[in-house]
Amino acid sequence: MNEDRRPGRDRLAARQAELVAALVSGAPVPTGFDTRLVGAARDALLRKRAGDVGRHWPMLAAGLGAEWLPTFRSFAATRPTNGSLRDGWDLARELAAGGRLPGPAAEELAVREATWRYDGDSNPLPRRGPALGRAGGTLVIRFAGRVRVLRGGLG
Amino acid sequence: MAAVAALFHNDAMLISAAAPADTWGISGPTFLFLYVAAAGLLILAAVVQRSIVFAGRRELATSQLAPEQAAYLNGGERLAVYASLGGLRAAGAVDLTAGRSLTTSGPMPAGVTPLDQAVYNAAGQRIRPRELATHQWVRAALHDLRRQLETAGLAPTAEQRRAARLFPLLLLGLLAVGVVRFVAGVTGDKPVIFLLIVLVALAVTTLILLRSVPRQTRAARSAVRTMKGQHTHLSPSSHPSYDTYGATSAAMGVALFGGAAFYALDPSFAAEAEVQRNLASGSGGSGYSGGSDGGSSGGDGGGGGCGGGGGCGGGCGG
Amino acid sequence: MNLPAYGVGIGWRPEISGFVAELPGLRFVEVVAESIAAGGPPPAALTTLRERGTVVVPHGVRLSLGGAEPVEPDRVTHLARVAELLDAPLVSEHIAFVRAAGVEAGHLLPVPRTRDSVDALVENVNRTQAELPVPLALEPIAALFDWPDDELGEAEFLTEILDRTGALLLLDIANVYANARNRGTDPVDLLDRLPLDRVAYVHVAGGAEHDGIYHDTHTDPTPAPVLELVGELCARHRPPALLLERDGRYPPAQALRDELDAIAAAAGYPAIT
Repeated sequence: MNEDRRPGRDRLAARQAELVAALVSGAPVPTGFDTRLVGAARDALLRKRAGDVGRHWPMLAAGLGAEWLPTFRSFAATRPTNGSLRDGWDLARELAAGGRLPGPAAEELAVREATWRYDGDSNPLPRRGPALGRAGGTLVIRFAGRVRVLRGGLG
Repeated sequence: MAAVAALFHNDAMLISAAAPADTWGISGPTFLFLYVAAAGLLILAAVVQRSIVFAGRRELATSQLAPEQAAYLNGGERLAVYASLGGLRAAGAVDLTAGRSLTTSGPMPAGVTPLDQAVYNAAGQRIRPRELATHQWVRAALHDLRRQLETAGLAPTAEQRRAARLFPLLLLGLLAVGVVRFVAGVTGDKPVIFLLIVLVALAVTTLILLRSVPRQTRAARSAVRTMKGQHTHLSPSSHPSYDTYGATSAAMGVALFGGAAFYALDPSFAAEAEVQRNLASGSGGSGYSGGSDGGSSGGDGGGGGCGGGGGCGGGCGG
Repeated sequence: MNLPAYGVGIGWRPEISGFVAELPGLRFVEVVAESIAAGGPPPAALTTLRERGTVVVPHGVRLSLGGAEPVEPDRVTHLARVAELLDAPLVSEHIAFVRAAGVEAGHLLPVPRTRDSVDALVENVNRTQAELPVPLALEPIAALFDWPDDELGEAEFLTEILDRTGALLLLDIANVYANARNRGTDPVDLLDRLPLDRVAYVHVAGGAEHDGIYHDTHTDPTPAPVLELVGELCARHRPPALLLERDGRYPPAQALRDELDAIAAAAGYPAIT
């Protein structure tokens, strides 16, 4: 690329980064943008994310009911997405740690924990072989492709 | 005391002195061979007979299976009730009260089956979901459903089930003979360990043959398999939009793909009604596969997880 | 490129795959490219559609062609492989960016209409086209806000990109409507200034107003003004295909059929239902 154009490209990169940060990381709206409109975009983005995560974690979303959207919003407001599966997983784990995970959602998380290995930092990998999954007060075991609830869950 | 022991010992010696004359005049190995051969023949006959009796009618048009029929064949009475309940729920006709009892929340939809009607009416009586299968109206409807399936050659009739008992009963007789021989052998102080092993194996096999009555005929099993292939769009892993497909399809989804489909249809209702996920035969897995495989598009670093479709094309800010 | 006239189509989604499979006159669908594994096989439902002669077009959403950073080669390769897998006559992507400085926005974001931005886009489009076996159509997006740096008008911006890359235009009529409505401009005016002969196909979608702003949600029915705009477009230059884009909250089958019929009527194409 023509060296003359480098500064322009760099400035574009920087401005794009500022805008993304304002939309997903809670950074201030970059200079010159309409604050109200960018705010509307940010809200719409959160609502869309909530819908996507809810599709990947139906028991979590259903279990929280009317609280789903506000709960997700406050969780995700300054946390850029890692993909709906991981976003929901992180949120579910956080709620479980605080004892705020409803029963069916706890079972959903426990089953996922038993089926995939997720360290919180990279994409979950499928587990091979039998495994236990724990979430909230629920304990499940996954063995030979079948999952059995050992304690808690839906009963 | 010692005298009694001596008496037994003498008696045993007397009997063992007669040992060269085999129990019943047949040597141990010979008897075993004949016995196993007889058992083998009878078992073979039982299996062949079952295969004939439980074959069902071949010329069935598989697409004619209604949701509750497919459900019954796939997962028995429980699943048939769930399929019916799922259809009613999708139509907005039933709901759960705060106390987790069923209730009607809309009119009975048009063109529903007798089982649907029974479930709807039972719901109107505010019973619990788990009490549905034992409610008398529902039981009556299930009974009729079974009759229907038997007539259609999809489920084995009572006569067929009785007929299939023939060889297992003969096996029972053979087992009795073997037991008698075993007792005789023990009192005759003969080695009976092999006979014991054979008897145990035979007992287990006979028990299985006597007690296992298939819910469906082979024809039915193949029909259900075909239908599952025709209705993959209703599988939970497709995240079907039941609103688009309608209440009958919702019932069919539950019928073919089990309780997991009910959770896909209405997660909170399914959870509160304590619907069991793994009801369908051969549903294997955890019944949870529907939710998790949508997002595991591992090739994508962060963002999206677009397994579920579009998403990025519209909405906010762009 | 002259595509044959396919008429009205729909975005293929697993959620409504049963519905799509039963549209008798359907000849054209679009699928999100990232939802298809490059190694195949594609979903059975798509194979069935192709076997009966329906065209399947991969629609990329995460290439981020409008980003200042060079487009990731793996993503381009994926798009190319999917195009081959589906035997598609073309592919499409967006004039937008979705990530910056390693942070995913999770959505399509507008690019500034500046010379620098045009240059970056053209470079990325050229890199992409070099690897694609088929033509590329670019879709301008709906944006709730504009960049303060904007130097060019919408039509000018698009035309320059298309001229310099030779790419085709995927005209999203719902986006045209949304942008015009939110800015108080005349959407027909934009239509008059776009190179309509370069339109490969068209998107039609629904939206809803929220707090005085119109959002192109793709989860609502197509409003009447958008259908009118379809009519205006087709009066000027009828595109080979018009695609109903619906991403969620799918309505009962009859409502979808009615919507498809309405689009067909507005465009002057036969109904596919």
